[in-house]
Amino acid sequence: MSPPSVGVQGVPAANRPAPRRSRGRLFDVLLNLPGGLITSTLILFTLALLLYLSLRVNDGQLLGSAFTFANLTQAVADPLTRTVLLRSIMLSAIVTVVTVVLAYPVAYFLAFHAGKYRHGLLFMISLPFWTSYLLRVFAWKIVLAWNGVLNSTLMGLGLTDAPLAGLLNTPTAVVITLAHAYAAFAVLPLYICLHGLARNLLEAAADLGAKPHQCFFKVILPLSMPGVMAAALVVFVPTVGDYVTPALVGGPASSMIGTLIQAQFGKANDWTAGAALAVVSMLAIAVVVLATRALVNRWVLPR
Amino acid sequence: MKMRTTATRSWVVGLAAFALNAALLQGALAADDGKLSYFTWSGYELPEFHPAFEAAHPKAVDITVFGDDDDALSKARAGFHPDLAHPCYDKIERWKQAGLIQPMDKSRLKNWDQIFPVLQKLPGIVDADGKVWMVPWDWGNTSVLYRTDLVKNPEASWKMLFDKQYAGRIATIDAVHDTPLVAALLAGVDPFSKMTPEQLDKVGAVLRQQRPLVTTYTTDMTSVEQSLASGELVAAMTWNASATALKKQNVPVAFMKPKEGMLTWVCGMVMLKDAKHVDLAYDFINARLAPESGEKLITEYGYGSASQAAFAKVPAAKLEELQLPNDPETMLKQTVLTKPIPSNDELAKLFERVKAGG
Repeated sequence: MSPPSVGVQGVPAANRPAPRRSRGRLFDVLLNLPGGLITSTLILFTLALLLYLSLRVNDGQLLGSAFTFANLTQAVADPLTRTVLLRSIMLSAIVTVVTVVLAYPVAYFLAFHAGKYRHGLLFMISLPFWTSYLLRVFAWKIVLAWNGVLNSTLMGLGLTDAPLAGLLNTPTAVVITLAHAYAAFAVLPLYICLHGLARNLLEAAADLGAKPHQCFFKVILPLSMPGVMAAALVVFVPTVGDYVTPALVGGPASSMIGTLIQAQFGKANDWTAGAALAVVSMLAIAVVVLATRALVNRWVLPR
Repeated sequence: MKMRTTATRSWVVGLAAFALNAALLQGALAADDGKLSYFTWSGYELPEFHPAFEAAHPKAVDITVFGDDDDALSKARAGFHPDLAHPCYDKIERWKQAGLIQPMDKSRLKNWDQIFPVLQKLPGIVDADGKVWMVPWDWGNTSVLYRTDLVKNPEASWKMLFDKQYAGRIATIDAVHDTPLVAALLAGVDPFSKMTPEQLDKVGAVLRQQRPLVTTYTTDMTSVEQSLASGELVAAMTWNASATALKKQNVPVAFMKPKEGMLTWVCGMVMLKDAKHVDLAYDFINARLAPESGEKLITEYGYGSASQAAFAKVPAAKLEELQLPNDPETMLKQTVLTKPIPSNDELAKLFERVKAGG
């Protein structure tokens, strides 16, 4: 991890010789071309397609026929959508809190105390990402199974007499698996934020008589809130729509909105309904994220 | 100045890489490697099921697997077009209606006459003018597989999978033609004619009653087998292969003969409309219908082969052990054939609702 570098575009324009400006602009355009192409084809186009599909009548054709708002109104009016969406948001919120709370001390240690071990430790944190996500999920299946590692250990230590049944195929298993899977995504933005804090502020706080815990709660934590928010966002948004994890370790009580959307595109063969569900869930996620941000801005960030 | 040259170089490299990627991607999309592409149930990809094809055309088949043929149909509708696919008989009308498949020429199906007549005569398999829409390959049962040591005094009924005393120790199959079909049988609704909304409600009520009891709705039979072996599950809806596998491991299990009837399904190969490797496809079907292939299917998995000649190669004692009659006709006298389900889409939506808690 290098400290945030100043990009080429960050070179102040005044430093450049005047005649080169047009070339500079051309350079900017070319630099942004691949990213722009990918954004417009892979992201904007697919989003538009999703929106389009959500407004079509499902008559068995690939893209449906005629326009209607029925899919969207049905998706909103259906109590099942609300139940499942609420369940997904709650589960993801728990995952987010667990992940960020666990990641914060790691990032803190990396930023302030790791010293020469910092790079090695960062490497270790990225290590699980070298294997497939599915493999990590299956590893948790082995740990949490009825005759799995955890139950055998508990019984071996004499802590329990019979295997605990409520580990695998429960919402708890989903939270554990997701929190583990997204840990590194939370550590990195937190680490970058904490690493970038001006150290002289901490010294100033200490000089003014702040005890370590006061220094943490009054200086470090408020200043690192942007990092916390970034980490929370990175964990929350993808986990709401996750369907692989609930399908593999969740059981019926933890089916999430992603499961329902996937089923519409798969077994139920009703793509327009699935697209409408996806649109509704995107809106719900946006509302939750914006509301949380507003709350944090209002109450937590230093004024 | 140094910075500018480095930057120039890096964006040239970047752009070149992007162009190369785009070109490669296009190449990959357009490439035809001359291999047959086959889309089948997971577990059915083994080369032992088509040795003659492997000998004649080594490494000439690309196999993609699915866990449920409803998902397979969706994937095909979305543009995945293999040469051959292997759905089950209850889906054949939907593949036809979607305009995805073409009929086959009976004269090119070498082993057609060895296929059990009862399977050939299923409505929709062969047209009146002799065009073949599906080449039956396998048949088998869906039933309750339970631990004989953990279930005391079992009643031979599907109701075991709906019994509160086994709450949290039951699993069931996540496929429309299995769990909802059984729910319909228990609700006294005929699943093979169009259902009215009231009938669907009845089926839904049975499914809702089951949801809090099951640990998982799945098509991952390996996990189900492991959970039955460990004793985590006492009963699960499975296919014959799971019973065969667990008995081989000496787990005390029985594959129930429910009084409402086991489900018997028939699956087979269909040819996609835009199949590019028609000749290879016929060779492949002929190899899969060879007696040795069917023999492997019977002895390895405990499923029935569509080929009479395959049954002739399996000793009667082995069939006895597998609880497999040597003719699907005998089987069908006691079981419920999974025929096309007219309300499949409605039933699928209902099933998804119930699974999600609605």
